[in-house]
Amino acid sequence: MNNGLRTRLLLILFIFGLGVYSLFPTMRYQFLSDEKKSLLSKNEVEYLEENTIKQGLDLKGGIYIVLEVDLPQLINNLASNKDKKFEIFLDDLSNQYSNNTGDFFTLFEKNAIDKDLKLPRYFINYGKTKDQITEQLKLEADDAINRIIEIIQNRVDQFGVSEPTIQKQGSDRVIVELAGIQDSERARSLLQSTALLELMIVKNVESTNTIIRQIDNLANTSNSIEDKKTDVENLFSTDEGANDLQFSSLLIGVGNDIGIEKNNLDKLNAILEQESIKQLLDATNGQFLLSNSAKTFINDFGDEEEIYIVYHLNKNAELTGGVIENAQVRIAQSGVTAGQPIVQMEMSSAGSREWARITGANIQKRIAIVLDKKVHMAPVINSQIFGGATVIEGLDSVNEAEDIAIVLRAGALPVPVTIVEERTVGASLGADSVNQGTYSMIIGLLLVILFIVLYYRMSGFIASFSVIWTLILLLGVLALLQATLTLPGIAGLILTVGMSVDANVIIFERIKEELRKGKAIRSAIDAGYQRAITTIVDANLTTGIAAAVLYQYGSGPIKGFATVLFWGIIVSMFTAIIVTRFVFDFITSRRNIEKLSI
Amino acid sequence: MDFLSNTKINFMALKKAGFTLSSALAIGSILMLMLGINLGIDFKGGTMVGLSFSEDVTIQEVRSSLENITIDGNEFDLSGEEVKYFGSNSDVMIKIKSFENEPKNFGQGVINNIYEIMKNKAPEDKNEFVLSLGTVSPKVGTELSGKALWSIVSALVLILFYISIRFEFRFAIGAILALVHDILITLGIFSLTGYEITLSTIAAFLTIVGYSLNDTIVILDRIRENMKSSGTVMFENTINKSINQSLGRTLITSLTTLLVIIVLLIYGGEIIRPFAFTMMVGVIIGTYSSIYIASGFLASIYKSSN
Repeated sequence: MNNGLRTRLLLILFIFGLGVYSLFPTMRYQFLSDEKKSLLSKNEVEYLEENTIKQGLDLKGGIYIVLEVDLPQLINNLASNKDKKFEIFLDDLSNQYSNNTGDFFTLFEKNAIDKDLKLPRYFINYGKTKDQITEQLKLEADDAINRIIEIIQNRVDQFGVSEPTIQKQGSDRVIVELAGIQDSERARSLLQSTALLELMIVKNVESTNTIIRQIDNLANTSNSIEDKKTDVENLFSTDEGANDLQFSSLLIGVGNDIGIEKNNLDKLNAILEQESIKQLLDATNGQFLLSNSAKTFINDFGDEEEIYIVYHLNKNAELTGGVIENAQVRIAQSGVTAGQPIVQMEMSSAGSREWARITGANIQKRIAIVLDKKVHMAPVINSQIFGGATVIEGLDSVNEAEDIAIVLRAGALPVPVTIVEERTVGASLGADSVNQGTYSMIIGLLLVILFIVLYYRMSGFIASFSVIWTLILLLGVLALLQATLTLPGIAGLILTVGMSVDANVIIFERIKEELRKGKAIRSAIDAGYQRAITTIVDANLTTGIAAAVLYQYGSGPIKGFATVLFWGIIVSMFTAIIVTRFVFDFITSRRNIEKLSI
Repeated sequence: MDFLSNTKINFMALKKAGFTLSSALAIGSILMLMLGINLGIDFKGGTMVGLSFSEDVTIQEVRSSLENITIDGNEFDLSGEEVKYFGSNSDVMIKIKSFENEPKNFGQGVINNIYEIMKNKAPEDKNEFVLSLGTVSPKVGTELSGKALWSIVSALVLILFYISIRFEFRFAIGAILALVHDILITLGIFSLTGYEITLSTIAAFLTIVGYSLNDTIVILDRIRENMKSSGTVMFENTINKSINQSLGRTLITSLTTLLVIIVLLIYGGEIIRPFAFTMMVGVIIGTYSSIYIASGFLASIYKSSN
């Protein structure tokens, strides 16, 4: 072997070695049974997990959720001296924002100018000029998102998900990816729950009766309810007289409480959303909240009815979740809830003192434990409570109790978040597509190899060799990049196989052409390669440009496709131009071949 | 094997017929697209739910279970939404448009309602019942469409630029024309089948772009090479010669790629199917367009300039 060949061989072997080496963890991980996995040390498993090609959620099953932070709500929380004008401004802003893809703060500034809103009036703590305030609010928003990410990370960790990905997207979104999650409903509520715990005093029966009478009077005089109903798309709007919309007629007595039938909830909300009624409640420092779940009762006619309890509470919380230091799931030992799961909370020392003061001052009153604006229970305070212990009861399952304990420990989100995009793939669907995809890839590859070997004979073997190595090296690169393989990524693999076969075909056809012209084998190979290279480079580079652009601008799946395609192009050019060339040169240097099998 | 060498087919003789066919197909596709392209929730926003029942169900049955969906006290009649089978008669896909006042966790709410109503046909474990759930808010949909469009357009512009430098501007126009032709007609055929366009199918379209481009460049490269010796006199002959010279490569590559795609189409499973179908159509059209659009365009443009 001459020197030139030897250097090339070493280079090729080095690169092949690197490819196989970087694929090694993936192979090992794939073939590892769960049993054996449990025998490995944690570090080893972590190393393997980190260095394998990850399967995307579309293949593996899991949930991908994009949460959007409610920035209008954040602005509302930060503002002081709010008046009617500010409310209108904020309403318009949040409407525009939910229909507009632009930056929130650009919209904010534009709206403030359009509506001639004096920002310093509402945000005196954040600066004196419009620019200063906007700048400061941006920082606040950023801070809020970072806190949200931290809290969600915390919740996910406690929930126990392997390899969660949580990242910020743009200025107001958080992407959460949880692979292999079975119960997506539970995971979703865990992520979304604001986890705002509030302890609120329940208003006494007299003032509740008074307010119900007052609301009845107001609701009767206003007819804006009908207008309201027509804009709520798809609600079953039945034509009912004004009398049926009376507040009190919707309510049912349930023991000492008042309740509302599940089917009447929208009517209740329509009444409570009326401006005059909002004002009335504000003026009396009160609010209505519902119980967290409906209870089934049998009514006088023997039918089942699902009923929510309606609570009339003080508007402001006596104490909020910030004081909670620990929350654990317990099974209640005594009382009516014995045997049911409860969440037991401990408060910080400052919180405990405050709690003792509140309970001391409100003996014989009821206190509602409110989580995310839903009342979980409203026990009567019998005596002053020291030591900061409190419980939450009325939970449906141990899972629910665990999740509440998790969110309470991890802390409340500073601003609510909403899901703007979600993709859940059930594990079975993902597994099916992986299996079917892999099998058909292998069958397809075998057919291609069979075809080129039949068509090109000996040279077909060389081409097949180069195609297989292209795939191995490409997977190796993906493992090195710690890339995630998704369905579009598989498309990229197919295209790569296609392009790699193509490069070989271009070369072979050229060599054949040169042979037909009567050239000797060595010079036909030389000339064939030389001419084919320009074609291959041009064709691949153009596609490479497309891949690079797609990588830059594309989102999620498109990006995955672009990564595979880009590296596929580089790898297939390497195997077609350098590796197969080496094989041809090696064969022809050893013996004087008289006929090339091509 | 060597039956593809020394062919002397006069491809350019059928140039006019090719243009006519392509124009007809392109116009047909534009009409198809205007009639209504089945955009998935990725671009329009909405909710898509895939459910797996434990026994066969009828579409009618599922539809009637959607008539009265109650979520957080709000009632929805979703019986008019799209319901179709997904692979087998026990799996269904339901696509629901987005509502203005959509309650939180709308998709899950819908699933829970159907589960309650059709409990006797659903698997016991609710997690096995849910094949997939996707929700995209209209706002994100607009963003995703914008991004996808922007990436395709900027890729096309850069390719135009590259080919103009490496070849000639006229070559670049031919190549881009062929690309647009391929995407348009594949889109048209795609929308005929009723499959919907999702981010994954966009990836399939990009694959076609890559493939067709590759194919076009190989032929254009041959033309460029032959132009060096024979110039642009009798340009149609040069083009014919170039296409014939690269015919072996064109057919073998198309055939091998089609092999993989057809296997994928048959055995690849329900998710991959629309994707494989798109690629199959694209590869056929891409091969054709390299000859009749990219090269045909060159032949016409040189003819008129000479």
